[in-house]
Amino acid sequence: MTGVRLHSVDKSFGGDQIIDDVSMNISKGEFAVFVGPSGCGKSTLLRMIAGLEETSGGAIDIEGRDITQVEPAKREVSMVFQSYALYPHLSVFENMAFSLRLARTPKQRVVEQVRAAADILKLEGHLDKKPSALSGGQRQRVAIGRAIVRQPKVFLFDEPLSNLDAELRVQMRLELSRLHQKIGATMIYVTHDQVEAMTLADKIFVLNEGVVQQAGPPLELYDDPDNQFVAGFIGSPAMNFLSAVVTRNTVKGIVAEIEGTNGQSLEADITHSVIEEGQSVTLGIRPEHLYMRDGGFTSTVELTENLGGVAYLYTRLAGGQEVVIERRGERVLHARESVQVWADSKDVLVFSERGERLR
Amino acid sequence: MNVRRMQGSERAGTALAASRGWRVNLNTRRIENKILLAITLIGAAIWIFPLYWAFVTSIRDEDHVVSENAGILPDMFNLTAYVESIFNTSILKWYVNSIGTSLIITILVLISGMMCAYALSQMRFPGRRILYAVVMASFMIPTQALVVTQFVLMNDMGLVNTWAGIILPQLIVPVVIIVYKQFFDAVPKEMREAVLLDGGGEYTLLFKVYLPLNWGITTALAIITFIMAWNQFFWPFLVITSEDMMTIPVGITQVRDTFGVSYARVMAVALLGAAPVAIAYLIFQKKVTEAVMISSGVKG
Repeated sequence: MTGVRLHSVDKSFGGDQIIDDVSMNISKGEFAVFVGPSGCGKSTLLRMIAGLEETSGGAIDIEGRDITQVEPAKREVSMVFQSYALYPHLSVFENMAFSLRLARTPKQRVVEQVRAAADILKLEGHLDKKPSALSGGQRQRVAIGRAIVRQPKVFLFDEPLSNLDAELRVQMRLELSRLHQKIGATMIYVTHDQVEAMTLADKIFVLNEGVVQQAGPPLELYDDPDNQFVAGFIGSPAMNFLSAVVTRNTVKGIVAEIEGTNGQSLEADITHSVIEEGQSVTLGIRPEHLYMRDGGFTSTVELTENLGGVAYLYTRLAGGQEVVIERRGERVLHARESVQVWADSKDVLVFSERGERLR
Repeated sequence: MNVRRMQGSERAGTALAASRGWRVNLNTRRIENKILLAITLIGAAIWIFPLYWAFVTSIRDEDHVVSENAGILPDMFNLTAYVESIFNTSILKWYVNSIGTSLIITILVLISGMMCAYALSQMRFPGRRILYAVVMASFMIPTQALVVTQFVLMNDMGLVNTWAGIILPQLIVPVVIIVYKQFFDAVPKEMREAVLLDGGGEYTLLFKVYLPLNWGITTALAIITFIMAWNQFFWPFLVITSEDMMTIPVGITQVRDTFGVSYARVMAVALLGAAPVAIAYLIFQKKVTEAVMISSGVKG
């Protein structure tokens, strides 16, 4: 069953098109993540679903009900803000009970619902405290608790972990995953952090310049991106992009000469697209798919980042293109050392000059 | 070794000179502080002298007040002026009038100012900016410039010598709107959005979130508005002629007997009239200072 559906939704401020003809389907109970760089329109889209921004065109449905013109409180959505937006003058209990009291819920039920949410979020011991007496993580939990007590159809999260330190972010990320498993509600989560997106999402929507670039399960986006933007945005360190010219077509795909390498080439598997010899393309290779091999193309190490279990080599080709290589179990490589690098043809993705994926 | 000792003694000499310099600086600073303290004390003495003189006059015999022998120091302690003020004037009635009008003015000014500021700060409607410019402009017009028009208006409305006549023109306090707006502007936008999503409207936002979040400024504005209303003389003096409806500052003008003005009694009434505000000031000193600083733009 559909949880949230957007039909050709538009949003413009003045003359600027912020959201451009976005359509999407989020199934009931799914954890969807909107990810993209700053200014891509992901928060605006979330706020449009919440009713905090008007839509300039198109329609939004929640579980089959058109809510495009419905006021925020009647959309049956709850939102968790980046700044938590807790009411500082009210206790944790009153913060969580605020919406229920406005809805004139009987007192006994208010107590039951708040206590149930506090139990899920381990906040039982903090109900009488003011938000100022809580830590960042606890405040975040109160904000989530405030969303839970309303028993909404859809939970909306607007970069909720951005204000937390690195350790707490990881912890809260896990707690959010557990919460989703426990209550099974539809959740839409906005972040610019692709690690959060990859770890939390059932389905990721990658946005850029107000357009959905690709939607799908995290690993599908990682392994099989539709375009160069998605390929570059998903994955850390980012995918390497090498400018190349197709020199030859083979049975399995193409052979392309990498620019600035004096004729050194890489093979890539292509099954559907037709690429003519002499055509300029961009080859995309993930850092973990590059390995050392005699006869590979030559690159010079500029910098190494050793994280213990894994090391990243920042290297540069003679022509100036940067190549990042992931190495596991090998710790010592010095700057200015030359390495011979290779990637298997199945791991080399091909993009057209316009950034479209050629499969 | 000698060279080292020389260097060592040179270093010690430099350190000594430095410490002397430091002491000289410290001494200069102490002298500067003493001069500043003296200037401040002289200033305070000038400011407090009228109050002192009022008190000294109020505890003298009427004959002694105007005699050539009256010195600067208190030479008697006679409470006749206070007793006569309390029992032979309408001061108790004026007290009640002052408390009543000041309270009503304070409550109405705060409610209207807060609602106006909320609308200007949080709601989007055509003419919002112009309206705020009008509020700002009214802040710049002195009350005295409007007094004739206001009097004619009140007279035409038949409100001279009425409570409404005293109160209505005093409800125009643009500074309350400006200060409230500044504070409402500072409330994070997400707070408003959270309330809207929780099912609240503008009244919930104002009375359950924005106002409780700004209790501090509300208290400060209430105190300063009350003091301003209590001390108001010019308008009530113009609009009220009935002694029964006078407030304390206006009532002082009525303290005279068959032989003319009684200075000791006038001063006693003035001090009795100022006493509640002075006591309130002593209790809420911190809040009043904060309110004055906020409304004058020193702190925002």
